[in-house]
Amino acid sequence: MNPVSREKLASLSNSVKFATDLGPKLELCRQLKRDLLEEDAAALSEFLSHIFDLYSDPSGPVRKLATEIIGEIGVKHLEFVPEIAPFLITVLEDATPAVARQSISCSIDLFRHTLEKTAIQGLHSSELDSDLESSWSWMLKLKEKIYSIAFQPGSGGVKLVALKFVEAVILLYTPNPNGSSEPPPNEGTPIEFNISWLHGRHPFLNVGDLSIEASQRLVLLLDQLRFPTVKSLTTSVIVVLINSLSAIAKKRPAYYGRILPVLLSLDPPSFVIKEVHVYGANNALKNALLSCLQCSHPSAAPWRDRLLGALKDMEAGGLAEVALNQVHKVNGSVEDEKDHSSVIKEEKPMTKACDAAGSNVGRKRSGTEDSSGLAETGDVSGKRVRSTPSVSEESTKELNRNTSMSQGDISSAQSTTRKVDVDTGPVQQLVAMFGALVAQGEKAVGSLGILISSISADLLAEVVMANMRNLPPTHSHTDADDELLEDMCIVGSNTQAKYPPSFLVDVVSLSSTFPPIAALLNSQQSVPNEIVIQKTEVGEEVDVMAGPNSTVAYAGMAHEAENALLPGMEKIDVPTPSDIQDVGNLESGIPGLDSSFHYDGLSDAQAASSLVSTDLEDTSQEQGTSFGGKSPLHVLPSISIERSEELSPKAAVNDSSGVVSSTATSVVSSHPFVLPKMSAPVVNLSDDQKDDVQKLAYIRIIEAYKQIAVAGGSQVRSSLLAYLGVELPSELDLHKLLRDHILSDYINHEGHELTLRVLYRLFGEAEEESDFFSCTTAASAYETFLLAVAETLRDTFPPSDKSLSKLLGEAPCLPKSVLNLLECLCSPGISEKAEESQSGDRVTQGLSTVWSLILLRPPIRDVCLKIALQSAVHHLEEVRMKAIRLVANKLYPLPSISQQIEDFAREMLLSAVNIDAAEITDAEGLIIESHKDSELEKPSHEHQSVSSTGKDISAIFHQSETSQSGSSPSVPEAQRCMSLYFALCTKKHSLFGQIFIVYSSASKAVKQAIHRHIPILVRTMGLSSDLLEIISDPPTGSENLLMQVLQTLTEGTVPSAELIFTIKKLFDSKLKDVEILVPVLPFLPGDEVLLLFPYLVNLPLDKFQAALTRLLQGSSQSGPVLSPAEVLIAIHGIDPERDGIPLKKVTDACNACFEQRHIFTQQILAKVLNQLVEQIPLPLLFMRTVLQAIGAFPGLVGFIMEILSRLVSKQIWKYPKLWVGFLKCAFLTKPQSFSVLLQLPPPQLENALNRTAALKAPLVAHASQENIRTSLPRSVLAVLGLSPESQPSSQVQTSQAHTGDTNNSEKDAVAEISKESSGAS
Amino acid sequence: MKFRYAMVCSSNQNRSMEAHCLLKKQGFDVSSYGTGTHVKLPGPSLREPNVYEFGTPYKHMFDDLRRKDPELYKRNGILPMLKRNLSVKLAPQRWQDNAADGYFDIVFTFEEKVFDMVLEDLHNRDQVLLKSVLVINLEVKDNHEEAAVGARLALDLCEQIEAVESWEDSVDDILICFENKHRRKLLYSISFY
Repeated sequence: MNPVSREKLASLSNSVKFATDLGPKLELCRQLKRDLLEEDAAALSEFLSHIFDLYSDPSGPVRKLATEIIGEIGVKHLEFVPEIAPFLITVLEDATPAVARQSISCSIDLFRHTLEKTAIQGLHSSELDSDLESSWSWMLKLKEKIYSIAFQPGSGGVKLVALKFVEAVILLYTPNPNGSSEPPPNEGTPIEFNISWLHGRHPFLNVGDLSIEASQRLVLLLDQLRFPTVKSLTTSVIVVLINSLSAIAKKRPAYYGRILPVLLSLDPPSFVIKEVHVYGANNALKNALLSCLQCSHPSAAPWRDRLLGALKDMEAGGLAEVALNQVHKVNGSVEDEKDHSSVIKEEKPMTKACDAAGSNVGRKRSGTEDSSGLAETGDVSGKRVRSTPSVSEESTKELNRNTSMSQGDISSAQSTTRKVDVDTGPVQQLVAMFGALVAQGEKAVGSLGILISSISADLLAEVVMANMRNLPPTHSHTDADDELLEDMCIVGSNTQAKYPPSFLVDVVSLSSTFPPIAALLNSQQSVPNEIVIQKTEVGEEVDVMAGPNSTVAYAGMAHEAENALLPGMEKIDVPTPSDIQDVGNLESGIPGLDSSFHYDGLSDAQAASSLVSTDLEDTSQEQGTSFGGKSPLHVLPSISIERSEELSPKAAVNDSSGVVSSTATSVVSSHPFVLPKMSAPVVNLSDDQKDDVQKLAYIRIIEAYKQIAVAGGSQVRSSLLAYLGVELPSELDLHKLLRDHILSDYINHEGHELTLRVLYRLFGEAEEESDFFSCTTAASAYETFLLAVAETLRDTFPPSDKSLSKLLGEAPCLPKSVLNLLECLCSPGISEKAEESQSGDRVTQGLSTVWSLILLRPPIRDVCLKIALQSAVHHLEEVRMKAIRLVANKLYPLPSISQQIEDFAREMLLSAVNIDAAEITDAEGLIIESHKDSELEKPSHEHQSVSSTGKDISAIFHQSETSQSGSSPSVPEAQRCMSLYFALCTKKHSLFGQIFIVYSSASKAVKQAIHRHIPILVRTMGLSSDLLEIISDPPTGSENLLMQVLQTLTEGTVPSAELIFTIKKLFDSKLKDVEILVPVLPFLPGDEVLLLFPYLVNLPLDKFQAALTRLLQGSSQSGPVLSPAEVLIAIHGIDPERDGIPLKKVTDACNACFEQRHIFTQQILAKVLNQLVEQIPLPLLFMRTVLQAIGAFPGLVGFIMEILSRLVSKQIWKYPKLWVGFLKCAFLTKPQSFSVLLQLPPPQLENALNRTAALKAPLVAHASQENIRTSLPRSVLAVLGLSPESQPSSQVQTSQAHTGDTNNSEKDAVAEISKESSGAS
Repeated sequence: MKFRYAMVCSSNQNRSMEAHCLLKKQGFDVSSYGTGTHVKLPGPSLREPNVYEFGTPYKHMFDDLRRKDPELYKRNGILPMLKRNLSVKLAPQRWQDNAADGYFDIVFTFEEKVFDMVLEDLHNRDQVLLKSVLVINLEVKDNHEEAAVGARLALDLCEQIEAVESWEDSVDDILICFENKHRRKLLYSISFY
C-alpha cells in the first residue's frame, strides 16, 4: 500500500470514528468501503483491525455497514476468513436485528465462496493449503452458529434470514440435477457451483457426508412445520419456511418425497393462532404447491394428483389447471423432439437411466400427458355430472365448452397444444377417473358403482367409446422402457397395465345394460381395434406408440369440431360418399348435441365455406400423393412426414385386406382426410369469417326463440340466450342483436327478464374483472345496453307504461348516462336537442320512475332526488307543478331526505331574492318612489274595491310589469324558484316564517310572486300554531305580506279567537297600524270597534272605505258590527284635536258615507241627525252633515226644518262655526227656512241677515205677508225693517255685513264652511 | 426514509402509479412496475385495445391517444391518468426486468395475480444476497376511484412500516392492526434477494 492511500484511509476511518451525525458518518463509511475494496490484500490485512473498531460504534446503521464492508472484504480476499469469521459470529449476537441479519447475509456469501474454493482446489490437488483449511473450519463454525439461530425456538427477523441460510446451505450441499456435473474446464468461467463436481475425489469434502448433513438439516426444517412446533411460529416464519422448502423441492427434486408430505399435511387454519393471517400462510402454501406442480422433473410426477387435490381444496383448481397446461405444453414440445430423435437413433443403447426416462416420457407423451391431464379435471367433471344430471343442463355445458373451443383454441395453429386441449374433454376426464378408480382395485368398487349410476346413460356410452383407444392392442411390447414408464405413472390411464381385461369386461357388461348404446358401442368398438390391429401388423414399435394415440386423438378432434359447429366440416364431408357415413357415425355418438345446431351449421356453411372446401380438396390431393414437408398444418414438419409414412402403408394394408366392416373402412379410409380436415377450415377461416359464422348462428338462435316462445321453460332459455349474447366476443355486436330481439317485442319476448339477465351478466363481468382493461370495456357495454333499452322503452311505450321504471328499478346499477336520460325525461329541454314532442305525461313517467328509484335504491337516492328537485324548479309550469307535487307530497314526508329537500328549496328561495339583491340597492329609491306614485294613482283606478290591500298589491304588480328592468328576475322566474318552497310550507308551516324574512328584502317581482302564491298557500295551510306564531311577530317590512295573509285567513270564514287575539295583541304592542285589524273588524265587538274608529278614519280613504264596508257588512254569522247610523255618529264623535286626526280625514270619511246612498238612506240620516242634535256640545261637523243631507236627499227638508228650529232653541248662534253652517243651511232651504229664521231672537236674526244679505229681501217679503206679520213680535219686525224705528241701526249692520258677503252664492257657502272647518283643525 | 418501496400492478398505469405518485409526494423512496407482458389500455372496443411496450413513454401514449380520439379517452379517464403518470416518471417499467434497479425492502402489489407473479419472479431470481423483501398484496379494483383509495391505504401502511425499526420483527402486528383498522384483507409473503 502506498503511503498516500494509507494515510487517506486512516484519516477516513478516523473521521468516521469521530463523526457525530449519522448521515455524514454513513456517507464516510460508504466512501471508506469504496476505497478499501480497491486495496490489495496486504494493505487490507494491516487495516482490518481499524474496521473491526468501527463495529464498536453505538449506532446500528454504522455497525451494519461495517459488517457489510468486512463481509465484502472477506469475499474478495478469502485468506482473511479466519479473522473475519469470528467477527461475524460475534456480530450474530448484535442487539440490533438488522446488524445480525447483515452478518448472516455476509456469511452466506463467504460460505459459498469458501466452499467453492475449497472444493475446486481439492479437485486439482490432493493437498490443500492450510490457510484454506482453517478458513473452511471457521466457516463451518460460523455455519453451526447460524444453524443454532435458525433452529432455536421463537421467532424474529434474524431467524428468517437464518432459515434462508439453511436453505442456501442445503442447496449448496446437494447436487443440482440441472447443473453441469463436471467442473468448468477453466476456473474463470462463471458457472453455478455444483457439489456433484467432487465425485468423491476430494481430500476432505465428502459428497456423501455433505448430503447427509443437508438432509439432516432438511429434516430439521421440516420438523418446524410439523405439529406442534408449527403452532409456536409466526406467520412470517411459516411463510419463509414454506417458500424455502418449495424452493428446495423445486431445485432438488430428489427431496420431493420428503418435502411434499409435510407441505401437503399443513393445514394453515389449524396452526395459525392469530386468525387474521391464515391466508398469508395459505397463499404461500398455495404458491409453493403450484410451483411444485409446475416442476417437470419426473420424480415430481407421482405427486401431481395429491397436489391437485390439495390445491382444489384450497380453491385454486383453476390455477392448477393452467399450471398443468403449461407443463403439458412444455412437455409436448420437448417430447415431440425427443420422439423425433429417438426414431432417428433408434438403435442407440440407452446408457443413462435419467435420459431413458426422459425419452420415454417423450415418446409416451400422450400417455403420461393424458393421464395427468385427465386426472387433473377428473374430479371436476365427476362433480359436474353428479350435480347436473339433466340432459338440458349438460348440453348447455357442452355447448359452452364448444363455443369456447371454436373461439380460440382451435384457431391456434399449434398442433401440439391442440391435442392437449382435445384430450381434456369431459369424457376423457371421466375415463381418467374410471381409470383411477379401477387402478385402486377392489376397494374402489363401491365408488365405481356410485359413479356409474350417477352419470347419464349417453355420457357413460361416451366414456366407454372414448376408452376404446385404451384397449390393449397386443402385448407386443414389454420392454424395459415400458416398465420404467409404468413405474413412474402411478395413475396413468393409458397403458395396458392400467386397464386390465377385467375392467374392460366390466365396462362392456355395464354398457350392455343400456341396450341402445351397446349397439352403438359395438360398432364403434370395432374401429379402434381395427386400427390397432392394423398398426401392429405394420409392426413398428414406434408406430404402436404413436399411432393409436394420434388416430383416436384425431377422431376425438373430429368430435370436437363437430360440436363446435364448424361449417367447414360438414361441407368437406359431402364430396366423399363414404365420409357421410363417417359423419353420421360420429354424430350419433355425441350426446346433447342439439340437432338444430347441426342444421344451422350446415345451412350457414353454404355461405362461408366454399373457399374452405376447395382448399381442402387441394390438401387432400396433396396427401394422396405425398405428405410433403410443406404441409402448413404442422409446426414440426419432420414429424408429419414421419407420420405420413406410417399412415400410408397402413391405409394400403387396410384397403387390400377388405375384410373389415364398412364402418371400420369408412373411418380408416377417411383417416387421411380427417387429418387435414380438422385443421384446414380453422386455418383458412379468417377472423371476419368466424365472426360471420358466429353472428349468423346467433341470429338463427334468436329467430328460433321467437318461434318457440310457447314451449315454456323460458327461465332457462332466456338465461341461455343472455349468456350466449354476452359470452361471445363483444366485437360481433351480439348485444345489438340481442337488444333488437328484446325490443322488437318487449312484452312478448319477456324483454324485461331477458334484459335483466343480460345486464346482470355484463355487470358481473364488469365487477369481477379486476383487469383495468376488460373492466372498462364491460362497463361500457353494460351502459350501452341499458341505455339503448331504456331509450327504446321511453320512445316506444306509452307514458303510462311501467316497464322503464321497472327496468331501472331492477337493473344492477345505473350509470350516469341512464340517469341523464331520466333527467331529460323529468326536466325536458335541459339537453340541447329539442324534445318538444314530449308531453307532460312523459314528465309524469320520469318523475314516478325517479320516485320509485328513490324508494328502491338508497345508494343513488341523492342523485335521483337531485333530478326531482331540478324538475321542481323547471321553467315550464306544467313540469314544475308535477315535480313539486311529487316532492312535496311523496318525498318530503320521507324523513331521510326531507332535510335535503328543505335545504334545496330554501336555497332556491334565497337565490330568487339574492339575484336582484344587487339591483335592489341602486333601484331601491326608484321602487319606493314609484310605490308612492302608485299609491297616489290608486284612487284613480280603484272603485268599489272589496279588498283594498289586494288592489294595492295588484298595483305593485301593475307597476312592476310595466317597469320591468332587464336584469332583475321576472315574476315567472321568481315563481320558478319559489314554488317548491311554498309547497313545502303547506307541509311544514314553520317554514313559512322564512318567506316573511325574505319578503322585506325582496324585489318587487319576487314580492309579486309571493303575493300570487299567498292566497292558495294560506288557504291550504289554514291557521296553525306555527302560523300564529309567525303572525304574532312579523319581521319589519313584511306588513303587506302580513295583510294579505290575514285577509286570506279571514276571507269567507270566521277567524278563530286566537287569531283575533293575536292580531289585536300585535296591534297593541308592535304594529300600530290599524290596517291589520281591518280584516278582522267584522268579528270584533261593536264597542271595541268604536274605540278604534278614529284610527280607521285616519286611514287612507280607500282603506277606510274598505274597512267601512267590512264593518257594515259584518260577518255572515253575527251580522253587521255597526249600523250605518252608528258609523255616522261615530264619525261625528271624533274630535280632531283630541284624537289627533286631521279634520280633512273626518270630512272625507263623512263624504265616503254619503257616497253610499243605498246604505246611508234618508231615514238613517234623519235618525242620525235626530240623535246628533241632542248631543251637547254639538258635533263640529253637524251642520256640514245637515247640509250634505239636504244635498243628498232634498226630501228631508221638512225634517231639517225641525232640526233647525231645535237648533234655534238650542241657541245655535253660540257656536260660531255651526252658526255659519246654520245660516248656510237656512239660505239653502229658503223659503222653507224662513219660518225658522223668524224664530230667531231679533239680535241673531239681524246678525243672520247681515251675514247673508241675500236672505233679507225674500225674508222681508215673506214676513210682510199679512198673516205672518201679525204673528211676529215687534222687535223682529224692527230687525226686518218692517217697524220704522229700528231700521237705521239695523241698516248699518246689514251694510257692514254686506261688504263682506255680497257675492255669496250657494257654492261659496259650502266652501266657506269647509274653509272654516279646515281652519279649525 | 429507510426502506425502498415498489408499487406493482399489471400495467403500471393506474393503481401502481396512483400509489407511486402519492408516496413520492410524501417523500418516500418509491418505484413502480407492471407485471404484464404489455401495457394495455382500453381502446374503442375490446378487440382494439391500445397496446404498448413497457418503456414507451407516457407522453407518447398520451399524444397517441389524444390524436386518436380525445373525447373517448378523456371521458374514460385515460388521458388524465396518463397526464398524471407522465408527471411522475418517464415510462411504464416491467417488474420482471427490474433487476438493475437494485433491491427493494417493501413491495406492494394491488392484485393477487400480480402478487403471485412478483413472488414467482423473486423465487426465480438467484437469491444470493439473503436480503429479505416483504411483498404485500392489497387488493384494489382496477378503476380510477378505487385506485385512489388504494393508494391512500398503501401510504398509511407504508407509514406504519416506516415507523418500526425492522419490519421483520413486527410485520404480523402491523398488518393485523391495519386489517382491523381498514377492514381490508392483506396478503403478504417474504422473499429474498
